[in-house]
This record gives sequence, C-alpha cells and structure tokens, in this order.
Amino acid sequence: MTTTTLRRGRTPGDLLFSIGLGTVIVLVLFATLYPIYFVLIASVSDPTLVATGKVWVLPQGLSTFGYEQILADDRIWTGYRNTLVYTVVGTALNLVVTLPAAYALSRREFGPRRPLMFFFAFTMFFSGGLIPTYLLYRDLNLLDNWLVFVIPSALNVYNLIIARAFFENSLPEELFEAATLDGVGYLQFFWRMAIPLSKAIIAVIGLYYLVQHWNDFFTGLIFVRDYDKQPLQIVLRDILLSNQAFAGGAGGAGGSGGGAYAQQFADQIKYGVIIVSTLPVLLVYPFVQKYFEKGVMVGSVKG
Amino acid sequence: MARTIRSARPRTSRRALTSTVAVAAASALLLSACTGGDDASDDGGSDASGGGEELNILVVKHPLTKAMSDMAWVGELEKAADVSITWEEVSADWDQKKSTMLAAGDTPDLIIGANAITDSDLATFRTLFEDLSDDMDALPNVQAMFDEVDGAEAMASQADGAVYALPSWKEFWPQAITRQYINQQWLDTLGLEMPTSWDELFDVLVAFDEQDANGNGDPSDEIPFDWSPVTTTGYGYFQPTALLGSLGLPITAGGGTGYFVEDGEVGNFLADERWKEVLTFLNRAYAAGLVNQNVITQDYSAYQSVARGSGDTASVGFSWGWTASDRFGAQLAPQYASMAPVPAEAGQDAPVTWSYDFENLTANHVVVSAQTKAKAAALRLVNAFYDQDTSVQVLFGDLGTNVTKVDDTTYEVLPPADGQSDPSTWKWTSTLADAGPLWIREDLDVTLPTDLAEAVEQSAPLEEAVANVDPDTDVLPPFLKMSTEDLSTISLNNSTILNLTQTKFAEFVTSGGIDDGWDEYVAQLEASGLEQNIELYQKYYDEYSG
Amino acid sequence: MALTLDETATKVPGTTPVGPAMKGRRTRALSRHLRTRWQLWVMVAPAVIVTLVFAYFPMYGIQLAFREFDFTAGLTGGEWVGMKYFTQFFSSPLFWDLMRNTVAISLTTLVVGFIAPVVLALAVNQVVGVRRRRFTQTATYLPHFISIVVVVGMLQVFLSPTSGVIPNFLGFFGVSDTNYLGDPGAFVPVYVISEVWQHCGWNSIIYLAALSSIDTHLYEAARVDGASRPQIIRHIDLPALVPTMVVLFILNMGGVLNAGFEKVFLMQNPLNLSASEVISTYAYKIGILQSQFSYATAIGLFNTVINFAFLVLTNQVAKRFANTSLW
Repeated sequence: MTTTTLRRGRTPGDLLFSIGLGTVIVLVLFATLYPIYFVLIASVSDPTLVATGKVWVLPQGLSTFGYEQILADDRIWTGYRNTLVYTVVGTALNLVVTLPAAYALSRREFGPRRPLMFFFAFTMFFSGGLIPTYLLYRDLNLLDNWLVFVIPSALNVYNLIIARAFFENSLPEELFEAATLDGVGYLQFFWRMAIPLSKAIIAVIGLYYLVQHWNDFFTGLIFVRDYDKQPLQIVLRDILLSNQAFAGGAGGAGGSGGGAYAQQFADQIKYGVIIVSTLPVLLVYPFVQKYFEKGVMVGSVKG
Repeated sequence: MARTIRSARPRTSRRALTSTVAVAAASALLLSACTGGDDASDDGGSDASGGGEELNILVVKHPLTKAMSDMAWVGELEKAADVSITWEEVSADWDQKKSTMLAAGDTPDLIIGANAITDSDLATFRTLFEDLSDDMDALPNVQAMFDEVDGAEAMASQADGAVYALPSWKEFWPQAITRQYINQQWLDTLGLEMPTSWDELFDVLVAFDEQDANGNGDPSDEIPFDWSPVTTTGYGYFQPTALLGSLGLPITAGGGTGYFVEDGEVGNFLADERWKEVLTFLNRAYAAGLVNQNVITQDYSAYQSVARGSGDTASVGFSWGWTASDRFGAQLAPQYASMAPVPAEAGQDAPVTWSYDFENLTANHVVVSAQTKAKAAALRLVNAFYDQDTSVQVLFGDLGTNVTKVDDTTYEVLPPADGQSDPSTWKWTSTLADAGPLWIREDLDVTLPTDLAEAVEQSAPLEEAVANVDPDTDVLPPFLKMSTEDLSTISLNNSTILNLTQTKFAEFVTSGGIDDGWDEYVAQLEASGLEQNIELYQKYYDEYSG
Repeated sequence: MALTLDETATKVPGTTPVGPAMKGRRTRALSRHLRTRWQLWVMVAPAVIVTLVFAYFPMYGIQLAFREFDFTAGLTGGEWVGMKYFTQFFSSPLFWDLMRNTVAISLTTLVVGFIAPVVLALAVNQVVGVRRRRFTQTATYLPHFISIVVVVGMLQVFLSPTSGVIPNFLGFFGVSDTNYLGDPGAFVPVYVISEVWQHCGWNSIIYLAALSSIDTHLYEAARVDGASRPQIIRHIDLPALVPTMVVLFILNMGGVLNAGFEKVFLMQNPLNLSASEVISTYAYKIGILQSQFSYATAIGLFNTVINFAFLVLTNQVAKRFANTSLW
C-alpha cells in the first residue's frame, strides 16, 4: 500500500480535496446503507407500521414471523442447494467458454475476429423469442433438466466483450512477443501468462456470471416443471409475489378472501426474503474483492 | 474457389465436429436419462381403464397454499379415481409461463386453477384441449351439475357446443364481493345519521374531516374516504365504481374495462354521463380534502395498512371492502357498519343497483389436454373432483382437520387449527379453496367459517340494490365466447381506451376540469374504437341471450 | 490502427471477381492462417457453438412478426401478413407517446447511469486505507441485490406524500409538496435516481478492476513531479478507464429503447401513466396478457432494430474517433 501513503496529501489543496471526497463518500454511504438498514428493520417490524411510514430508525412491533415462515418452508433449502449447484457449475462453465474466446478475439492478428465479434454481438439484440427456444430445448431434452440452467447460458456476450476489451488493453504486447520467441503457442500463453495476469477481470466476470446464475428465475419459470429442481429465486418469487396476488386479488377472482392478515404476512416476508437471498452473495464478495487491490497485477508481472 | 476452401477446411471442421459430437453425446446421455423417467408415464398411459395410470397435472394455486401432496383429500382423490398424480404447482408468473407452454403445444394432462386457462386462451389454443361434451357419460357428476345449476352448462359451452373447460359452483358466497362500510362509532360520536344521499354522505365526510371523530385528541388525523388502488388496466372491487350503483348503472365484477348491459343494451360506463357524475362527486370530495391524498398512488399494502389505524383508534371513515374484519382488522371491525348503497339524490327515479359479481358460479377451473395418453383416467379424476365430499374438501380443507361431516348432507367448517390464523388465511393455506374445480350441492347444509359468515351477514344491506338488477337483461356475463379475431380487435382498442380513461380518471378526480374536458374526452374515446367494441360486445351478448 | 494489421494477411475478399492465380494465393493464405491460428479457433469454438445452437437456431421465430399467429398451423405456418403488425403499431394512437416516454426514460438512465459509476469508482479508489475502501465498495454495491418488487415498495414508503421521509425532508427546505409517485414530471427523475442508486456501485466494479491494473510506478512518478490528487485522477486514473468506458458506452447505446419493464410496470399508476407507459409495458399488456403473439413479436422486433441501429452507429463513431470498436 505504498500508493496510499504516498497519496496522503499535505498541501492545502489536497486537504480540501480530501474533505470534499470524504463528504461525498459519507453521503453516498448514507444513501446506500440506510435503505439496506431499512430492509433489515422492516423485515422484523409490524408490516402495518412499515406500510404507513412509521418505521424509520428502529424496528416497531418486533416480530420474527416473516423469517419463521421463510425458514420453515423446506422448499427454501432445496432451492438453496439447487441454486448453489447451478451457480458453481454454471460459473465454471461460463469462464471456460468465455475467457479463451475473449482472449482469441483480442488477438489483432486473428483475421476473422471482427466478423466473429459481429456474430456474437448480433445475438445480444436479435433472438427468436421464447417459443422457438422452448421447442429447441425440448428437442435437446433440456426441459426439466438441470443442465438448462447451465448450458444455454454458457456465454454472455456482454461479458465476452468486456473481457476482450480488458485483454486487449491490459496485457502488455511485449510479453506475448517474448513468449512467441520462446516458441510458446496461444493456448499455452493464455494458460500460463494471460490468466495469471488477469485475475481482476476474471474476478469481475466470474462475479457477474455468479450473480446472473444466482438471480436467474426465468429459466426455472419457463423451462422447469419439477419443483425439486427449481432454484431459490423461484421459491422466493412465489413468496414475494404473493403480495401482489392480493393486490390482484382485490380486482380478481381471489377477492373473496385472500385475507388481509395473509396480505400482511406477505408484506413482512418480502423484506426477509431479500436478506435470506442476498446474504450468501455478500459472503462471496470479499474473496472477489481482493483481486481489485492495487499491485496484484503488477506484482505478478514483476514476480 | 469453393473447392479450394473445402480442401482447406477439414482442419477446422474436424475440430468443430469433435465438439459437436461431444455436445451430441452429452445430450444423448441426457436424452436416455430423461426418457427413462418418461417411459413409466407413457406405459401407464394406455387408454384401457386398467387403472393406476399416472397423470401430470399443473395446478395454479395461491402462493400461501401448502404442497398438494400435504393435503389428505388429494390422496383420497387418487385412490377414488385410481390414478397416481405428479403435480406441477405454480403460484407466480403464471401468465408468462402459460403463453410459452401453450404456444409450444406442451400441455400437461390436466390444468387446474381459477380461470387458469381463460376464454381468450381457448379461442386461440382450443385444439390443445379435449372437447368434453361427448364424454359426459364418463362425467356423471359434471352432467348432474349442468342439469341442476342454472347457467353452468351455458358458461362452459362454446358457440358450437364444445366444452373445453369446466366451471365451479358454490352457493354460499354473497352475490357481491364489494361491501360498503362506514364508521358507525364516528357517526355516533359526532351525533350524525347514516347518510342517504351523496350530499348527506359528503356532509358526513366533512364532519369526519373537521372534527376529532376518532377521539384521540387530534382532529386532523382522520381519513374520511379511501378506496382500493385503481390500476392502469381497468377497475375492480372496492373501487369508486361502486358509486355507479347510486345512479342505477349495473356494472359487473367491479367494473372491469367498463362494459355493461342495461335493458339488453351494451354500453361502456367510461363514456357515460353517470360516470361523469361519479367523477364530479369524487373530485368534489378530493378537492375538499376528504379523500386520502395518496389514493391514486398508494399500493395495496398501504391501502390495507392505513385502515388498520392504531390500537382502538380508527383512521378511515368510509370505504369499501370484503368484510369489516378483513378491511379494518379484527380490533376495529366492530366500529364499522355495512352500509346500503345510497341514491345519488334523495327521491331519484333510477333505482339503486350494485355490482353483480359471479363468485358462486366461476368459469374455467379444469381443462383436459387433447394429447393426454390417459384420457379415461383424466376423466375419472375430473369426475371425482365434482364428488360431494371431495368438493367440500377442495373448498374448505380436509375432513377432520378443517371440516367435520355431521351427516350425509351436513358439514361444519372448523376454526383454524393452528390457533393464530384467521379463517380465510387458514383456508387458503390448507387447500386449493376457490381455485379448485368443485360443485357444492345446493341441498347441503354447511356451517360456514366466520369470515364467510361475516360477509354473508354484512351483505344484508345490499340485498335491495342487488335485487334491482335483472340478471337476464342487466348483467354482462364475463364468459362470452368470442372469436380470436374479435378478441384481438377488442383488446387492441381497449389498450388505447384504458390508457386514456385511467389517466383521465386520475386527473379528473385530483385536479377536476370535468365539465370542460368531458366532451373532448368522450370524443377521444370514440376515436379509439369504443363504438366498435360496444358493437362486438352487443353481437356476442345477443347471441348469448338469444 | 492496430486493427488493420491483420487484414492484409488473412482477409479473404469475397466480392471481387478473382482469377486462378488469386485463387491459389488465397488457398495458401488460408492454410497458413489455419496453420498458425488454429489454437485461436480452438479457443473460440465453444463460444461459437453455444451461440449457433442457442441463439441463432431459434431465430426462425422472428418471422412470426410477419405472419398471423395461427396455432393450428404451427408456429411459422400462419398466413404471411407482411408489415401488418408493424403498421398496426405505428398507426396506434399511443405510438408517439410510447416512443417519447421510452426514449426519455432510457436515454436519461443511459447518460446518468453511465457517468455515475465512473465517478464513484474514481472516488472509491481515492479512499485511504484498505478496509475503509473495501467497506465503501461493498456498501455501494449492496442495493443491486434488492429485488425490483421491493425497491418499488420502498419507493412507495419513502416517497409517500403524507408519511414519506423524502417529501418531508424536502419540504423542510421549502420544496413544495409534489406527489413524487403520481406527478408525470417526477416519473423520470424518480425512476432514474433510484436506478442509479441501485446499480451505480455494482456497475463501478468493472472500473475498479481497471483501476487496479494501473502500474503503481506511475503514481510514484507523478508524486515526485508534485502532481496533486485531482491531477493524478485526471491524468492517470481517468485515462486508464477510457477503453472500458468506450466499450460500455457502445453497449449502452444499444439499449436506447430499453426501459426496464418490471420496474416501470410496478411504478405505474393512473396519475403518471402519461409518462410511464412505455413500449415494453404496452407490449406486455397487449402481447402476453392478450395472447397477441404476432403483434408482440413485431413490437419487439421494431425495438430491437432501433437498438441495434444505435449500437452500429455508435460503434462506427467510436471506431473512427476513439479507435475502439466492438467489431
């Protein structure tokens, strides 16, 4: 952390800058942390008081009813397990597919890279729609099959583009030239040099993919029928949207008694669901974060 | 050139080939794994009524409802119909799931749920579903329901007589979903009479607003008037469309997209002078500060929560709801009185009416796939749902825990066994309830759960208004069977119409300008295809009633 | 610049008529390409296959936009109706309102949502001390995980004209009591600010990663030269972000007609409808809820074409002026 000590400003201008920066950071922190704190206290407060704007600083009408309901539902645990598997396997596959392709496409001497990039980018926009996709999955026997969470989403073009840009701009060309002189091929260079030098971007892309899998409910919704294979998000969405079932119920057939008590129950649960579903992702972040620290890359080059 | 490229190609394509082979091999593996599972159901699917067939059933149920396999009546049902069921349980995002499933032609053997497959789906995808009209021999319970319940068969039948989806019948629900409540305790505290016209209602609301009606020392925390959030796609229960009844305009199901029938003539209240009067009254109340200032923007949670007040202190004076305890909470419910619809003006000619809701006879609760490999089993199961005991259990829960059978025709619904739920939450947790296919015989004697009993009791003040509606000429049935083309015209026009009307509703109520803006508003409606839609509705209504 | 290096060696022009001599040269060039570049082909192969199978194969469904959806005739068996559904959309009385609203929402989100993460990343990068920096980072990215349903629920509570903390706070400073949930004029700001609040931290992660790859010697050298912190930010940090910024900007421009469906839909109410009905909510109401598959597909295709056109345009501009491009 030589840079930070170096940067600790002592001139009046730098001091002013530090104060300005500090103020901004504190404001930003308040703006992000307070709502999070609100979710936390709302998840253990009386939902009537939350909805009428009486819960601001401390939980009111303390109740853990929401959590009890969430945790008593054993579908949650199956969902957790499934999501864990899909996320780990899926992210691994994603990296295996994305990184080499991104590297290859970053090589300027690779002739077809432009048409290939267009080939990929095109699919970010144009798609055949859900129905042909559904029919395709059926023909490939991916319906109701856990691989549907993993294989069709093996490549996210957005991440491919980001990774490619990173490889293009951050890998010193001299390294490659030196390696080629030693007779090292692309595959070997990619594995031995590019990967170790790109931990930051791998961490970012990995995190993007991980969160994408973690939040994916749509695949389960459309392509999976067996509830034992459903990911956590489907289970949570069932719970979360029950709130809207009542709102809709007021104008629909359910008007005859979803029951206001049940609606309140749903209200409290929706905040608890955030906590339950986000916690694991939060635990992952510190492991990813350390790769953003300065010197990781430079250090490894030097070392 | 083509040749030379081909000669150069093998290097790459071999590699591509190997990957393709790998993928193919992988999917072949999956394929065998999957068909391994499927075989069983296919084998069991012979049409011969050997029994024990497997059925895949998709059920659209309430998010609170417990797993189907945890309901005891489900096991009995399987035994009675001699089938084994694999359930697919859906409680969120059904619309999205459904459209893909149907368009891909991939339906399970049965789909169960309240209007899970709508008339509009049937118009587009009818070939996916089995026409049951020629299978009535295998469905004696359904046939009996058609014979005994007025309108049941008409509701289920398409114009050509085909029956794809079966309705449910239960007779205990009050005719109307929306009831009107006023805080009787506030009236008493302030020494006011129950209002009998809009003007009197207005004065009462003013008194609620200006005085300390709830007696907590703060004269300004009372919300005299509140209603359920109006959506951008139409009107529903507990909304100010209820006031149309004061002018004798007969709406159905809370208003919907505005179409109604009066003396056999179809119209749309959104362009009706009487709606203008309602809007004027609402604006008058809003401008005077009598309406919840959040009324347009609040969500359903806030709408329900505000009415709970705090402790014994109520905060809402006049509103609409299902029952008093559902709307205001058990603690405050005794303060409220169910209130008869008031005429707009004392002594007016037009008789007061009320929304006519179809809550007892409800459409489209079960469909059978035309592709089912076990049709006989599917029919046995459908028939078993409409059995007397099963129907009671589908609606209220298991015999023993939720319902006691006293004798052959007498049942008693038990209070919640967990000791903390309210009856309606308990019902929805325990069973499919109103979503299920069922037929509650009219000769049954059932002791209702307290919430339903309360709704029935609090419906008494509405009776006269409901009786003023002639079901034969004043009710637009929600189950008119239309062609795909007409449906598409109607919905296209409606999306334009509602975009205008819902925006204008909010504007008229909160900012006024009704007198100046009304003619232009109506002209815009007419330019958006309103007349065309009314004609289409008229055509289908005439077919239905004629 | 560097982009053109490869062209001459391996490019196979397909349009100009060629003689036998050229043919031979091209074969040789191709075989040389494969000999030297086969490893690169191996590396892109899985991505290409996945894309071909799962993205390109189902694209035949696009023709639904030009056909009548007729279930009995199969997905693509319906009658060919050409531009019928496009005309229907263009001539809808709502068309221009939808376009205006969609562009207002997405363009504002695009601009603000593009700048904010850059600023945040630069600021977080300046925080002294590893633990404090990590904490700031983690805190700012947290809101990303709150589901849309809850974010909209929180907006309801925070912005309620009677009990909301934000109107009360602003009222303190004499800002008149606008109903931020209902005023059509407030819809875009509320949408965009909450969007930035939710995703700014998350979107800054990529920039933090880019900042981490800056050679620390640059800072030391700058310090020795007596550069102030703002100067270091301007001359070292910011330039390091530019390549990523350009790529993300191009990608964002491809979303010029994308206004997040679920959030807009949940934030809609009759008061703000004149500002909040967008293409995707309209398509949902008419397409999904009413089974108008062809119409919904046509609207979707229109949306896509416009988006793609903007992407291509931005890409060309970026290629010319920033020397960066997607292809």
